[in-house]
Amino acid sequence: MSTTVKPPPDEVTRPPAPTRDRPWAAVLALARFEARELLLHVPVFVFLALYLAYSVYRLVVAEGDDRTDYPVLHDVDRGTQAAPQLVALAVLLCVNVAVLRSRRHGTERHFGVLPVRPWRRLLAHVLSVVPFAVLVALVVAAEFVWAAAKPGAVGRGSLAELAVGPLIVLLAGVFGVLLACLIRSAFAAPMFVVGLYVLFAMVAAASDGSAPHWLTWLSPVVPESGGHPLPSDLLGRPAAWHALYLAGLTVTLLGAALLVSGRRTRPVAVVTAVALAATAVGIAGQSPDGSPRLTRARTVASVTPEQQQTCTVRAGVTYCAFPEWSGRTADWAAVVDRVRHLAGDPKVQLTVRQRVEARYGIASQAAIAPLTGPGQVSVGTWWGGNRVPEFAVGVASVLVAGSEEEASGICDARAVTVLWLALAAQPDPAGAFARIRLDDSTVGPGLVLAPTEPVAVSAEETRMVRELLDRPREDVTAAVRAGWAELTSPKTSLTRVARLLGVREPKEEDDRACTS
Amino acid sequence: MTVTVSATGLTLRYGGTRALDDVSLTLGTGVTGLLGPNGAGKTTLLRVLATAVPADRGSFTVLGHDPGSAAGRQELRRRLGYLPQNPGFHPDFSAFEFVDYVAILKEMTDRGARHREVRRVLEAVDLSDVRGRRMKRLSGGMRQRVALAAALVGDPGFLVLDEPTVGLDPEQRVRFRELIAQAGEGRTVLLSTHQTEDVAMLCQRVVVLAGGRVRFEGTPAELTARAAGRVWSSAERDPGARAGWRTGTGMFRNVGDPPEGADLLEPTLEDGYLLTLGDGEREAVA
Repeated sequence: MSTTVKPPPDEVTRPPAPTRDRPWAAVLALARFEARELLLHVPVFVFLALYLAYSVYRLVVAEGDDRTDYPVLHDVDRGTQAAPQLVALAVLLCVNVAVLRSRRHGTERHFGVLPVRPWRRLLAHVLSVVPFAVLVALVVAAEFVWAAAKPGAVGRGSLAELAVGPLIVLLAGVFGVLLACLIRSAFAAPMFVVGLYVLFAMVAAASDGSAPHWLTWLSPVVPESGGHPLPSDLLGRPAAWHALYLAGLTVTLLGAALLVSGRRTRPVAVVTAVALAATAVGIAGQSPDGSPRLTRARTVASVTPEQQQTCTVRAGVTYCAFPEWSGRTADWAAVVDRVRHLAGDPKVQLTVRQRVEARYGIASQAAIAPLTGPGQVSVGTWWGGNRVPEFAVGVASVLVAGSEEEASGICDARAVTVLWLALAAQPDPAGAFARIRLDDSTVGPGLVLAPTEPVAVSAEETRMVRELLDRPREDVTAAVRAGWAELTSPKTSLTRVARLLGVREPKEEDDRACTS
Repeated sequence: MTVTVSATGLTLRYGGTRALDDVSLTLGTGVTGLLGPNGAGKTTLLRVLATAVPADRGSFTVLGHDPGSAAGRQELRRRLGYLPQNPGFHPDFSAFEFVDYVAILKEMTDRGARHREVRRVLEAVDLSDVRGRRMKRLSGGMRQRVALAAALVGDPGFLVLDEPTVGLDPEQRVRFRELIAQAGEGRTVLLSTHQTEDVAMLCQRVVVLAGGRVRFEGTPAELTARAAGRVWSSAERDPGARAGWRTGTGMFRNVGDPPEGADLLEPTLEDGYLLTLGDGEREAVA
């Protein structure tokens, strides 16, 4: 049948014209919808709940733990980076599934003719990740503010370090979206995650656990944890460059996703190119493995810290600290005063000096060598928990032996006096004794930790210390003061020490495991 | 008739096949049935009018909007309700969420107003009671009604329904007819179907498509009238009939050019449809 062309309609039903901002409002509405759907995905819900529970645990339940009362803020900022990786992983997998949803369930044919274009739907998927990044940012901020508000807090945090947690969630989300654009299979994202894990494991294995600096910093998170805190200007972490790298990479991947989805416009291409350039700049900035200046500064801090420290005198004792720790000298002084008082304020000119070993990097736990000068006591950068009685051991060792170098060789009955001086004034002397021994017990021979070298004690000395701690402190204090000259002599036998302090004499003279 | 949809010379090739061949038609307010055998080009025509695929040649306007330009296409889509053949669904969405999702894709951004609209269309398709149920837990008929609700949400001026009653049991089909009839009040509905009785009962106008070309455009009564005097009854199948089948009475119903003195029967729309098609196309229907 031949068809006829009808004249144009005389009257056409015209709904009201839409407002111009409607497409963007629809993108935001869709992003809200997708964010809610994302939250209902089991992996996202579970990992987010775990992350929040872990954060609350760290904030509330772990309160009073070793270092939480005396946080070092430029370590705390870095400590916020690891946990959000769980959320990021879940977001990557689930946003990928969400983008593929229409294709998997055959709704693309329908949705393809609806006003919100595919690239805007893609953008909504990316925006749906933003609430999760914001939530992580809030948790990170809460963790940091909580730590910073503590009276014992020292140092200063870095905004760039704090930004890493939220940024990796965003990056993971955008990557999940891009992956769905490139490979239209729900298996791609899990396979990618497994592949990435294998790749990092291989790199770590090939480089014997210490990958090249530039390669390490390509990883979204570089925690470098476990070492003793260093002054913030010795960290040498290219945190700002890394944040730029992550932000640039996120926008680059977003631009790539839009381009792949058909939004090949000039603004998108320009933004993608700029983001790519920013990523490259970030990589270039973070790649150099430390500057000579930093190496020099770390050496100075490790070998001649006095060049970087400020000193104050309290009750005749000089306290030298790196500038960020200057507020902590009062805590050290309280310990020193207690130990000196128990010892009868011997005429030893004490200098407490804060020490770090920065030459091997910020993740290193290298031991601090004993100071050689008379009356010099080392103190580390951690404080709180066991660090307090350990410092007391260091102070008592120097009071008894004269110097840290001499004290490191204590392999005689002086150990009894040192330990009683260090522990007697602790709130829980027996508990503290167990905690600062390597074997966590108060029987048998063992090693007692101190800021530099540990003190070796025999089983009989351990027993004597225990007995002394059980006795009235005033009685022992009087005995220590009266017998100070003999108690601090390396020639005094353990039997003589027992008689001087009024405890049961040893059956055998010595069974210590001296290290020197 | 107030013309709301006007197409001129629509042509579309898939490889060497002309899926649409110079199709011109006009639609007005109310339900228009699109009849045709398998492969006639019905779904292709609907996809072109829904802007899912562009025609190689020809043009059309819907509610005054020309999809030839990006802006016009966008405006058309804002006024379109589309129920594709075998519509997909998101199994983990509830019925409410699915329609809400489609409503957002139709740029309904005010959450309160959108949710009211979603509730309205779900009520219109009689699914209020199960709106919180996951799609994977709904029956096929319910899912089809959710898909219709998704097409209706936002009160589109042009509703394109591609074989919406396929796979439904008779009761569900009757329910669907009611819904489509309601939908046709005040808007333009183009309903593709194999079911001539649906067209007879629902449509104010009918278009017959075969071989990618429009073979008839008019009212159901006009299509039925084509068979006036060309349907007759006989004890055996008349060899001269274009089509013939034994009915429940045991007699044959023949369609074609009757012999003289034949026992003429009252024609139906299906008879008119069969006579409109060519021989090969009738076999495709059969």
